[in-house]
Amino acid sequence: MIELKNITKLYALSKVDEVRALDDVSLTVKEGEVVVLKGASGSGKSTILSLIAALSKPTSGEVVVDGKKVSKLSDNFASIFRRDSIGFIFQKYNLIPSLSVRENILLPLVPLNPHAKDAQKKLSEVMEIFHITHKADTLVKNLSGGEQQRVAIARANVNNPKIILADEPTANLDEKLSLSFIEILRELKSLNKTIIIATHDPLFFNLDFVTREIAMHNGTLQL
Amino acid sequence: MKSKINIYFIEFAINAILRQKYKSLFIAVVFVLLTFLLTSVFFITNSIKYELNSTLDSLPEILIQKTKAQRHDDINVAEVDKILAIEGVSDANARVWGYYYFENIGVYFSIVGVERFENQYKNSLSKIVDTYELDDAKNPSMVIGSGVQKSMQKSYYKEYFNFIKSDGTLKKVSIAGVFDADTNLESNDMIVMSKETAREIFHMPESSATDIVVKVANPNEVATVLAKLKLLYPESRIITKNDLKVSYQNIFNYKSGLFLALFVISLFTFFIIIYDKVSGLSSEEKREVGILKALGWRVDDILVEKFYESFLISFFSYSIGVGLAMAFVYIFQAPLLRDIFIGYSELKPSFELPFVLDVQTLFLVFFLSVPIYIAATLIPSWRIATLDADEVMR
Repeated sequence: MIELKNITKLYALSKVDEVRALDDVSLTVKEGEVVVLKGASGSGKSTILSLIAALSKPTSGEVVVDGKKVSKLSDNFASIFRRDSIGFIFQKYNLIPSLSVRENILLPLVPLNPHAKDAQKKLSEVMEIFHITHKADTLVKNLSGGEQQRVAIARANVNNPKIILADEPTANLDEKLSLSFIEILRELKSLNKTIIIATHDPLFFNLDFVTREIAMHNGTLQL
Repeated sequence: MKSKINIYFIEFAINAILRQKYKSLFIAVVFVLLTFLLTSVFFITNSIKYELNSTLDSLPEILIQKTKAQRHDDINVAEVDKILAIEGVSDANARVWGYYYFENIGVYFSIVGVERFENQYKNSLSKIVDTYELDDAKNPSMVIGSGVQKSMQKSYYKEYFNFIKSDGTLKKVSIAGVFDADTNLESNDMIVMSKETAREIFHMPESSATDIVVKVANPNEVATVLAKLKLLYPESRIITKNDLKVSYQNIFNYKSGLFLALFVISLFTFFIIIYDKVSGLSSEEKREVGILKALGWRVDDILVEKFYESFLISFFSYSIGVGLAMAFVYIFQAPLLRDIFIGYSELKPSFELPFVLDVQTLFLVFFLSVPIYIAATLIPSWRIATLDADEVMR
């Protein structure tokens, strides 16, 4: 279960100027739920994902995931938490362009120093699920947008995390590829993953497998 | 069982080096050049020091040179008996020697005269006297250093050499053998012949010698003997082995000081690169660190990977640099660089740098380069890795 308790997040623009990205936000997401956070750019959707993944810390308030206060974790423990529990699909995918598909997907496993056979098994599984096995040795920079996104999703799932966070996942895709991505989410939902999607793409609205849609405006939830 | 060394980090590090191939190549080239230059200097220094020390150790404790108006003049051999009478002196030899200019090649040879029944002041000379018959007045012969042999052969003198005496006539001397001394520096330009032949070439009367060398059995008595000799010969230059050592080393240090300036320039270039690295990572590198953190890499993981990356490139470059320096100094005899160090090279027809492998030198160059570069890579990476991943990727 994910709990955000009275979260406020301020970003400093300069020494004297700051922006309030989240303003006293509280939210609970149960295990297996699919939540769509919708709203205009700058409404605070990405900040919520960033806080849940312990990529940044709230200015005030608390983020609790499965009983663990992730907002209080030290930097190293936050990394371990992400590695074990979170699969993050970034808006710009955040792949390393000069690495191959295989190498990019392997990145979350690298610090674990797995046996070669185990690593290969996990790689093969996710590459097959997301239909990119035939591109395994291709450099990511030579892939299309849709293929890059599938690599990003495969990478987010290689550790079999319980929580999937997707930040504007279809922002760089055409409608056909966006619909294909939505089908992938449906499959992930069937695996009982908790999924939170930050998007302003109308394709995500009123989907049958989405548990809740929450609108955001100026750093607040419009419940 | 799982390996302790994370091979995936090493693979990632190799990939990272290859990804930035032009930057990596530039760093490697500068690193190789610096290591090569630094190691070459140390290798040459070690070789010359070894040669100098070997040469100096074989010198007598005291050398007496007669001077006239501060100019070197021949000394009377009868003085040897007076010197032997001084307490503490174990032996004294009147030396006949001098430089002979070989115009064809433009080099100087050192001619040293020996006498079969005299005590020799050097072991190397004793060996020659025991091995060769140089005293035959009808057919004078000589033993020459390998450098002399090469020079003579260039002018087709393979079995004998014609020395030009002071009156313009020639003195034919047969080559009996090639000198094989412990040190190259000492023997390379040397010609050993009988004192009689040497005197004839230098037009020196039998009663005269170039100088007198004195042996003192107890090193603690050198100062006392020296004081007595100064009283006996106030008009002469009396030089101790230590004076010679200091003089030789001063010449050597002065020459190496010139090179130091060149070295400092290279070092400066190296530190500019380091400064560039310490001052920050490129935006691409920063973003990559952010991505890795977002994917669950800890700060330690990022630093380990960066360590492998910097170690691989620096150690590889260090090894190449040392290998090139070894080939340059010991196989090719350090062309250009060698002359900077050997100040009196005009007196030497040629000079072979002996192979002296000093592990300390290798460690010194290693510690002056590899850890500095690794630190320069790790510090900015650590700075970025300790920031929030979100902030770094933004």
